[in-house]
Amino acid sequence: MVGASEAAQMERLESQVDNGGGGAWEYLCLVRKLKARRSDKVLKHGLSILNDHRARSKLGAEEWTLYEQVAFAAMDCQQYDVANDCIALLSKQFPRSIRIGRLEGMLLESKGAWAEAEKVYARLLDDSPLDQIIHKRKVAMAKAQGDLSAAVKLLNKYLEIFMADHDAWRELAEIYVSLQMYKQAAFCYEELILSQPTVPPNHLAYAEVLYTLGGLENLQTAKNYYASTIALSGGKNTRALYGICLCSVAIRQLTKGRNKEEKEVSDLQTLAAEALQRDYKQRAPNKLPFLLSMLKNMKLNS
Amino acid sequence: MRVGFMVGILGGILLAHAGYATIQYRGVLKIVEEEFSRPPMNVVVELLLGLAFCIWAALAAPAKFRSIHPDSEENRIVSLPSNLDFMIFNHRGKVFPCNAEYKLKK
Repeated sequence: MVGASEAAQMERLESQVDNGGGGAWEYLCLVRKLKARRSDKVLKHGLSILNDHRARSKLGAEEWTLYEQVAFAAMDCQQYDVANDCIALLSKQFPRSIRIGRLEGMLLESKGAWAEAEKVYARLLDDSPLDQIIHKRKVAMAKAQGDLSAAVKLLNKYLEIFMADHDAWRELAEIYVSLQMYKQAAFCYEELILSQPTVPPNHLAYAEVLYTLGGLENLQTAKNYYASTIALSGGKNTRALYGICLCSVAIRQLTKGRNKEEKEVSDLQTLAAEALQRDYKQRAPNKLPFLLSMLKNMKLNS
Repeated sequence: MRVGFMVGILGGILLAHAGYATIQYRGVLKIVEEEFSRPPMNVVVELLLGLAFCIWAALAAPAKFRSIHPDSEENRIVSLPSNLDFMIFNHRGKVFPCNAEYKLKK
């Protein structure tokens, strides 16, 4: 979970390191802690530390973590020789380690040698059949080869054993959404909300899947979840504000024929519209006319 | 922060001194054989002063307090960590030109 202040700190450190100021090691630690995927920057600054003999010896035992991080980044940027060198150094230091074996498997994956990677993972699974990350790598391989249904099957089997892994639930939800199986995606998001009820992006994603499914109850539930996203994020989530406006319009269109008595009085939509206008005035005043014309259209269509 | 520490130490000393003065006062009362109802006024004033100093130091000496609201400006969750366990490598980054100068020196 990346908080706002941590994200701002990471941006600041990134610009500082890019412009030549120090602090590369703090930046790399922060990237590792927040699990951000900034492979080009990590590769550049990590290599600058590792190639400098004095800086490397200052790290002490942490240089191996840095080697692993740089190996990941190198694989992401297709610098296979760098990755190979890092892995060779690591395996010399930690022989027969499963973590290094995983790295070797990932290197084969990144080169596209799926069959050999499969063999490496099978060998590692013989030693430790309950290693979560290897199971997840097999799912990732199926996804990378484009076989999304196999990925779904593998992920379902994985989740039967490791039900508490919210990363896997999130991945499964995203795969279902890309396969347009929205009901199953909604189920996955419900699991995520159950396990992490205070994380706004989960509520937002669930609301969006419900809005996509359509139908009156789904739209009303989606409106509730957009509202809870706004509550959890302190009112700063623009997407959720838009979501409330759109849900209100869609509900109004669906209930056009019904009795007027059933309609609840809700200032939620007006409040959301006002909050949007305030936000745009502050952050993007030249786009405010678009927003105002859109809001006017929505009120007229009701 | 230095001021906070000094004020806190001063407050602690005041409280200790007030306690010592009260014990001495009780000793004097035992000699005069009177009841011990409450410590003398100056000791009470010293106690209150010591209390005020200690409270002020407890709030001022530690570093800046962090917000506990999950939806405050610093704490609100802006994005989820990218799912690195499921990272795949055949993305469009492959068509970027290869930067040949990246090398790990031995």
